[in-house]
Amino acid sequence: MTDTTDPATTAASATRAGRGRWDHTPGAVSGLTATGGLATVELTWHSYRPRRGQLVDHYEVYVSERADRGGDLAHSATLLGRTLYPHLTHRVGPEPRRRHYTVVAVVSSGARTRPARPVSAVSARSVAAGRAVARVGDFDHKGLEFALSPDQSARYRTAFPTGVDYRYGTSTPGRDWSYLHPGPSDAWGGRKEHTFALRFDLAAAPKDDLACALWLIDAHATAAGAAEVTLNGRPVRTLQFQGGATRGSLEGDATRVGSALKPSYYEFPLAADLFTAGENVLRLRKTSGSWIAYDALGVFAAE
Amino acid sequence: MSAAPPSSNGLDRRLFLQAAGVGVGALLAGAGLAGQAEAAGGAPRLRDDPFRLGVASGEPASDGIVLWTRLAPRPLADDGHGGMARAGYDVRWQVAEDERFRRVVRAGTALALPELGHSVHPQVRGLRPGRQYFYRFQAQGHTSPVGRFRTAPGDRSRAAFSFATASCQAWYHGHFSAYRDLVARDPDVVFFLGDYVYEYGITAANMWRAAPAPGPRHELETNTLADYRVRYSLFKTDPDLQAAHAAAPWILTPDDHEVQNDYADEKSAYGISEEDFLLRRAVAYRAYYENCPLPPLALAQGPDARLHRRLRYGGLATLHVLDGRQYRDPKPANTEEQYAPGRSMLGAAQEQWLYRGLRTADTRWNLLLQQVGMVKVTENRVDQWDGYPAARQRLLDVLGERGVAPSVVFTGDCHRSIAGDLLADFADPDSAVVSSEFLGTSIASDGDGAPSDNYAKDWMQHPWMSFYDGRRGYVLGHADAGAVTAEYRAVPYVRADNQAAGFSLDRFRVEHGRPGMQKVS
Repeated sequence: MTDTTDPATTAASATRAGRGRWDHTPGAVSGLTATGGLATVELTWHSYRPRRGQLVDHYEVYVSERADRGGDLAHSATLLGRTLYPHLTHRVGPEPRRRHYTVVAVVSSGARTRPARPVSAVSARSVAAGRAVARVGDFDHKGLEFALSPDQSARYRTAFPTGVDYRYGTSTPGRDWSYLHPGPSDAWGGRKEHTFALRFDLAAAPKDDLACALWLIDAHATAAGAAEVTLNGRPVRTLQFQGGATRGSLEGDATRVGSALKPSYYEFPLAADLFTAGENVLRLRKTSGSWIAYDALGVFAAE
Repeated sequence: MSAAPPSSNGLDRRLFLQAAGVGVGALLAGAGLAGQAEAAGGAPRLRDDPFRLGVASGEPASDGIVLWTRLAPRPLADDGHGGMARAGYDVRWQVAEDERFRRVVRAGTALALPELGHSVHPQVRGLRPGRQYFYRFQAQGHTSPVGRFRTAPGDRSRAAFSFATASCQAWYHGHFSAYRDLVARDPDVVFFLGDYVYEYGITAANMWRAAPAPGPRHELETNTLADYRVRYSLFKTDPDLQAAHAAAPWILTPDDHEVQNDYADEKSAYGISEEDFLLRRAVAYRAYYENCPLPPLALAQGPDARLHRRLRYGGLATLHVLDGRQYRDPKPANTEEQYAPGRSMLGAAQEQWLYRGLRTADTRWNLLLQQVGMVKVTENRVDQWDGYPAARQRLLDVLGERGVAPSVVFTGDCHRSIAGDLLADFADPDSAVVSSEFLGTSIASDGDGAPSDNYAKDWMQHPWMSFYDGRRGYVLGHADAGAVTAEYRAVPYVRADNQAAGFSLDRFRVEHGRPGMQKVS
């Protein structure tokens, strides 16, 4: 669970503050919808139309793990974030979970609407919710635990002259896995392909297929490019990355509301017959385009 | 002694129609024109000094001025309301002929409302031309610092005046010591040519000003109205900026960073949808109005604000204040698009408004106050007028027309002190000079700077260019019937502290009836 909420503020306490002609603005936000997906819940609502002379300063989005009696979130929800726009992406963890949401509009005088009628959604289950066979980093929409994070890409060639070679159980993300994986378009990476390897040991080859989860906090906006994935030297697939915001080279936390980062998520099966008893090596070779910025990478078994 | 009623304050029908769309009560109350329509009874007590953002004046006319202050006992309060309760507050203002306010000539009360961030913009009329005045505000027993301004000369006067142009004050890149020098030179009026605030998040990476980091509230790019309000508060806590506002009236126009870097009309350069970006523009323009001494027409109606305008400075100069962002065509996708004949920087309506104003001006000079470099530099500088060559040519054609009063263009944006002539046809270096452009450097943006840098050769490769320097500073100007003079002033550093002393880099003059700038020895 990776919700980043401020427990000090609730929709109820926010709307109770003060009394007088500037404390409330009529009505409530309408049209609120919540759609659960992999690692996200997408929230949208209709723009609030304040009375003349007022502007919407921002919307406050509240989340709760439980629905209060009658669907009223006013006494249990916590502030998820503030946004100017009538939509927000809630970035959540790998586990499927039902959450309940409401929205309050705050206008230029500071006055607030009543909370919107609450809605709920269940986020999709990620393979990373399973048992970790090998894992680098936390699936939390942040890349801050990695080496060189959040903005030291200029030191990459010195710190990782032959790419990344990481051994699960011995290596540490802060020292041994670079936050940014350069591509052949990157001058700072020497304009060549770079390979990141994740080594892990298995007592025995698995009977069932496993799965790989690769979460990114960002990528280059117009040249995210592709990577070849291999397991023990055998091809698994080519990943074509979605364009990001070209901000992940400078900042590492996509959970902050207002962050410009554009995360993306990739999950795919790893056939059981690709594994072997003893050492296994999962490799990502960036074959085209510019960089990607890591959130986490792992190999998982269904529990 | 009291504020005149709206009908005698130049608030015409168009203004009332516009105001009706944005809350005429709030607008007029903040302008001190609402009479008894609003009253701030029962407002919570103001325990702390609410004038911590200083005072300002703007839009000097021969008989009037716009005053400004914003009540904010805790300017950096997270919610953007400056520590104010959600209530209206009476703000009394006085204009006097003497600094001790023994000869008060105008006074009134404006209502500071939370809808406008507790800002007030009293419109004062009935003043005498070419005179120095002092002003102050009072609220619940608190008295503001004293500001001063000089009204513009009478319409037929050819009295000389002094001015300064300033732009690009990235608070986090350095101290505003250039304003200390500006205040010491005591100009009659200050032209601010864009980038009053910057929207970028302020982090360890760009916090070059030797000062405590402003904290996590400022680490992300501004987005909400509260974010923009807090950002203005942060920048306006600089004592030298407050002193510069208090020392002279300002005439301001925004560039891109008051909203977002490189925006064009409804288009963000960072992938924000047009629908969302118009919301962003609306809150950014609202915060701009709330924090600057602007006329009521500048208060945005949703995402639209009337920011281009014309002012008269006696019989000597017509000031054409341009808006190069709100109506511009987007960056060109290719060369064909860049050179398309219909492409516009100002939009068709503003272009026609400008040409008409240039042709009908009955003053000795036309001064154009605008954002980005007009002079031809390189084809890839598409955010400047180089990205709008057909529109530039249309304007140059008008500036070169017989009967149009001589013009001088003053520009911000480029963070360099640069001077060059504007030719009738930049493809022909031997063509006539039709105007001259003085691009002012930044107050703080880009840190200390250096006399020369990597961009110098791009600009100075052309025979029409005269000067280049990459340090921080401003332009100190002087206008009289015979010439407009521009002196580039600089400070040696801005990052370490605000104690750097200003000095003169170079000086140029444009003589009336003799096109082209000349270096003043």
